[in-house]
Amino acid sequence: MTRAERLIDEIMAAARIPSERRRQEVRRELRAHVEDFVGSCRQSGRSEEDIERLLLDRFGDPQQVAEQFACVYHGERAVLHFGWFLISTVVVSLIISAAALSMQAGMMFGLGASVLAALGSRHAITEALDIAATVATYVGLVSLGRFFGYPLAVLAVVTAGLFALFAATGLPTQFIVFGFLNGALLRGIQVAVRRRMLQFGAALACLGALGILFFHPSSSAVVVTAASWLMMGTAYHLMTHVASRMDRVLAAKL
Amino acid sequence: MEIDRELLKGSISLLLLNLLSRGEMYGYEILQAATVRSANAFEFKEGTLYPALHQLEKRGLVRSQWRTGDNGRERKYYSLTSKGRKAAQKYERQWQHLTGAVNAVLGSK
Repeated sequence: MTRAERLIDEIMAAARIPSERRRQEVRRELRAHVEDFVGSCRQSGRSEEDIERLLLDRFGDPQQVAEQFACVYHGERAVLHFGWFLISTVVVSLIISAAALSMQAGMMFGLGASVLAALGSRHAITEALDIAATVATYVGLVSLGRFFGYPLAVLAVVTAGLFALFAATGLPTQFIVFGFLNGALLRGIQVAVRRRMLQFGAALACLGALGILFFHPSSSAVVVTAASWLMMGTAYHLMTHVASRMDRVLAAKL
Repeated sequence: MEIDRELLKGSISLLLLNLLSRGEMYGYEILQAATVRSANAFEFKEGTLYPALHQLEKRGLVRSQWRTGDNGRERKYYSLTSKGRKAAQKYERQWQHLTGAVNAVLGSK
C-alpha cells in the first residue's frame, strides 16, 4: 500500500461519512485526484520521493481533513442515528415485551390463573409501556452516547416527547419515569460490572428488590412479585444484549 | 505570499463558485485554475477543497456527475446550479462591498 493510499484510508476512517456508497465515492474522488497530481508531477520530472512528500504536504493533517468532512455530513449523520435509535427502541421493545409477557403468561399458567385475562389486563399494557421506556433509555444511553455530544439532552427531548404523547392519550406517565430509572440502572450495571454473569446477577437482584420495594406486596404475594420481577430482570438483561448487538451493527453501518 | 487560513476560509465558497461559473471542472482542475488565475497567490489545499465542494453540493449550489473527460479518465465534474449561479453573483457583490470598506479603513489616516 502506498503512502497516498494510507493517507486516504486514514481520512476515510475518521471522516464519519454516512452511507457506504458515499464513502466509496469520496474515496474514488480522492484517488482520482492523487492520480492527476502524481501524473502531473511525473511530467514535470519530479522524483517519486519528492512527489510523495509534496502530496502529503498538500493534503495536510488527515485528521483535520476528516474533521472537515465530518462537519459537512454532521446533520445527515444526526438524522440517521436518531432514526436508528427510534427503530432500535421499537424493535428491541417489541422483542423484550414479547419475551417478558410470555414468561409471565407461563407463570400464570403454572399458577392456574387465566392467561388471557392476565395478558389483556391494563397491567400488561402498562408493563409494555414500561419496557418501551426502559429500552428507550438504555438504547439512548448506549447509542446516542456514541454519536451525539449531548446524549442526555437528546434523551431529555425524547422523554419530554413521550410525556406529552402519554399525557395527550391519557396513558399513565409514571411508567416513563420508572422505565427511565430502570434503563439508567441497567446501563449503570453494565458500565460498573465487567463480568457478564455478575451483570446478570446484579440486574436480577436489583430488579427483584425494586419490585418488592415499589409495589409493597402483601406477605403472601412477595414470592410471586419477586418471581415476576426476576423474570423482568432476565428479560431486561436479554434486552441489554439485543440492544448492544444492534448498536454494534449500527456503528459498523454508519 | 502565503495567505492566512482564517482569512481564506470565508472566501472559499466565493472562489469556488466563481471558478465554476466559468464552466464545469473536477477537483484537480479547480486547484490548478485557482493557482493560475491568482498568479500562485492561492494554493488551495486538497484537504480544504473537497469538503468545501461537498458542502456547496449539500447546499444545492453545485451539482456533480462522474464522466469521462478529454484525457479518457473518469472524473467527478462539478457545475453550478441556478441557485449556485445566483449565490455566486450575490457573494461577489458582498465581497466587493466588503473589500471596499476594508480598503477604506486600511487607507484612512
